[in-house]
Amino acid sequence: MSDEIVQIETPFQFNEENKREFDELIGRYPVKEAAMLPTLHLAQRQEGYITPAVMKYVAELLELSVMKVKDVVTFYPMFFEEPVGKYVIRICHTLPCALRDCKVVLEHLKAKLGTDVASETNLAKGTTDDGKFTLMKVECLASCDVAPVIMVNDDLYKNLTPEKVDELLEQLPN
Amino acid sequence: MVQERRILYEHLDVPNINTFDVFRQHEGYTRFEKTIAEYQPEDIAKMVMDSGLKGRGGAGFSTGLKWSFVPRDIEPRYLCCNADESEPGTFSNRYVLEKNPHLLIEGILICCYAMGIETTYVYIRGEFTLGKKMLDAAIKEAYEQGYLGENVRDTGLNINIYTHPGAGAYICGEETGLIESLEGKRGQPRNKPPFPAVEGVFMKPTVVQNVETLCNLPFIVGNGVDWYTKMGPTYADMRNDPPTPDPNTGTKLYCISGDVNEPGVYELDLGLTCSELIEVAGGLRGEEVKAVIPGGSSAPILTHYELDTRLDFTSLTLAKSMLGSGGIIVMNETRNIVDCLLNIMKFYAHESCGQCTPCRWGTPWVRDIVQRIADGEGRQTTITRPKFGITESGRWGDTGETEEVYEDLDLLENVANNIANVDTMTWNTICVFGIAVSWPAVSYLRKFRPEFEAAIREGKLVTLPVAEATVPPEENYAYQQRIIPKEFADL
Repeated sequence: MSDEIVQIETPFQFNEENKREFDELIGRYPVKEAAMLPTLHLAQRQEGYITPAVMKYVAELLELSVMKVKDVVTFYPMFFEEPVGKYVIRICHTLPCALRDCKVVLEHLKAKLGTDVASETNLAKGTTDDGKFTLMKVECLASCDVAPVIMVNDDLYKNLTPEKVDELLEQLPN
Repeated sequence: MVQERRILYEHLDVPNINTFDVFRQHEGYTRFEKTIAEYQPEDIAKMVMDSGLKGRGGAGFSTGLKWSFVPRDIEPRYLCCNADESEPGTFSNRYVLEKNPHLLIEGILICCYAMGIETTYVYIRGEFTLGKKMLDAAIKEAYEQGYLGENVRDTGLNINIYTHPGAGAYICGEETGLIESLEGKRGQPRNKPPFPAVEGVFMKPTVVQNVETLCNLPFIVGNGVDWYTKMGPTYADMRNDPPTPDPNTGTKLYCISGDVNEPGVYELDLGLTCSELIEVAGGLRGEEVKAVIPGGSSAPILTHYELDTRLDFTSLTLAKSMLGSGGIIVMNETRNIVDCLLNIMKFYAHESCGQCTPCRWGTPWVRDIVQRIADGEGRQTTITRPKFGITESGRWGDTGETEEVYEDLDLLENVANNIANVDTMTWNTICVFGIAVSWPAVSYLRKFRPEFEAAIREGKLVTLPVAEATVPPEENYAYQQRIIPKEFADL
C-alpha cells in the first residue's frame, strides 16, 4: 500500500504512555513481528480504530511491510477498520445464548438504539447516528452459564432481560 | 447422587484468592516449593506421565506423552498456555483466570521446571479483559515475591510469563493456529508434522497446554500420583494385546449450559454419566431431554437413548462423540434440532480461517443448505441411494437395499463429509476444524432425521415430540457402533 493509493493525511503516533508500554512489550519476543497483536490493541485503544496511518506506523515500528499489518488486521474480528461508537455492544448469539433467548435481547437493543446490527465490512450499519453506540453480534463469549450475555466495551453483563438492558443503557455516561 | 469434588475450584470462592497473600494461606506455591525441593525435573515428567493426565483443551492427548516428545537439547524451549477459550459451551478457564490466577502461575512454574523452560506465553482471548487484568496483576505479584524472574527460588532458572491477547478468532484455539497468531500473523493452522513439541513458536520446541491441564499439575505433585489416579476410571485399551491401561484420571471442570436449572461449572470425577451430570446441575429445565452436546459445539450430539454414556475421554470416543473441552449443552423437548444446527453452522461458517478450500467453501455451503431447510425451502426432490444399517452379520454397513432421501439431506451429508469424513475419520483440511464442522452436521442429521424431513416436507420448521424426532437406536449409526469400554481392574 503506497501513499498514492491511500492518502494518509495525519500521521499516527503513540502517545507517551502507549510508547512506554510498547517498549516494554517488544522486549518480550525474540522477533519484533510477534508483538503485532498487542501493538494493534494499543493503537486501537488510542485511535478508536485502525486507520491506514496506524497500519503504516505499526509497520514501521515492527519493521514489516504495511501489507503484512493489513493482512493481520483484516483477519481478526476485534480490529475495526472503520470508526465505531463510543460504546461497542457485542451480543453473543451462539447456541447456549440462543437457547436462553438472546434474540429477545437483540431485538430489544435494536429497537432501543434504533439501529441495525453491524457487519464486519459495514460497521456504520450498526452505529447510532450520534456515534454513541455500535451494536454487533459476536460468537460465543465463554459465559454460557449466565446467558444471555453482552459485552459493552470491556465489561461483561450477564443474565440479561430487556428490563436489565434498559437499566444498563441508562447508566452509561454520555 | 454424584458429589462434586472441588480440587481446582476448591478455593475459587475464597475472597481475594487472586492476591498472593491469600493464595499463600491456602497452600499456594507450596506445591512448587515441594517440586524444587524434592524432585528432579525428570521425576516431575514421570509423575505426570504416571498420573495419566490427559490434555483438557479438547484433543485429550496424554500430557506426559506430549512432554516426552520435546527434544531436550534444543534451546530455548517455550511453553504456550492456551487460554483462548472460544468453544461454544465452554467457560471454565474464564473463572480460573478471573478468580484464581495464581493457581495457573503455579502450574506454569511446575511445567517450566519439569521441561527446563524459561519463557511462557499465555495466549488469552481478546474478550477476556478482566481475566487478563487479573492474571497480569498476579504475575506482577509473583515477580515481586521472587517466584518469577531471574534465578527463581535458587533453581537457576529464569522464568518469565507474558500474557498475549488474542483478537477474537476462534481458530487461534487450535494449537498451531495459536502459534501463528502468537508470532504476529494470521491465525492459520500449520501442517503437522512437525508437531509443536518439535517445531513450535519461533520454530523452537513448544509445549502447548490448556489452562485446566496446567492447573492440575500442582495437585498431582502436592498429593501424589496414587491419590490422583484414584479419581476417575481407568479403562482397558483392547486394541493392544495384552490390553494396556487407558487412564481417564482426575477431575474435570464440566461446563453445563442450556436447558438445565442451574447452569455452571461443576468439578466432578471423570466418568459420570450424562444423566447424572444433568441431575447435579439442578435437573432439566423442561419435560424431557431431547439432545445433549457432550463436548462443545464441535462434538457429535447424543440422543436421549444415549444419556447413559459416561462423560470421559475414552467412553465418548467409543460412542462416536468426544469430550472435547467439556462444554455440555442440554436441549429440552421444545428445541428444534434444525434450528440448533443452523446456529452452529453459522458459527463455523463465520470462523473458518479460509486457508483450505474444502473448509472455506464447504462451511458456508453447509450453512446455506441448513438455512434453506430452516426457511422451508428445502428441495423436495428425492434421490435413491444405498441404505446403511445393520447387515446380516450384525454389523453396521451397506445393507444391499436402497432408500429414498430428500436431495438436500443427501447433499448436506455429502458436502459435510467432503470437508472431513466422519466415518473414516479423515479430513481434507490442514487442521481439525474440518471435522468440527462435519461432526455436528452429519450427527444431527443422522440422529434427528425425522425433524429435517418434516421441515422439508412441511415447508417450515416443525418441532416434533422427542420420540418422533429421534432416530430409534436400531437405526442410529453411532448407537449401533458404540463400544462400552471395560475397566482395566475388571479384566
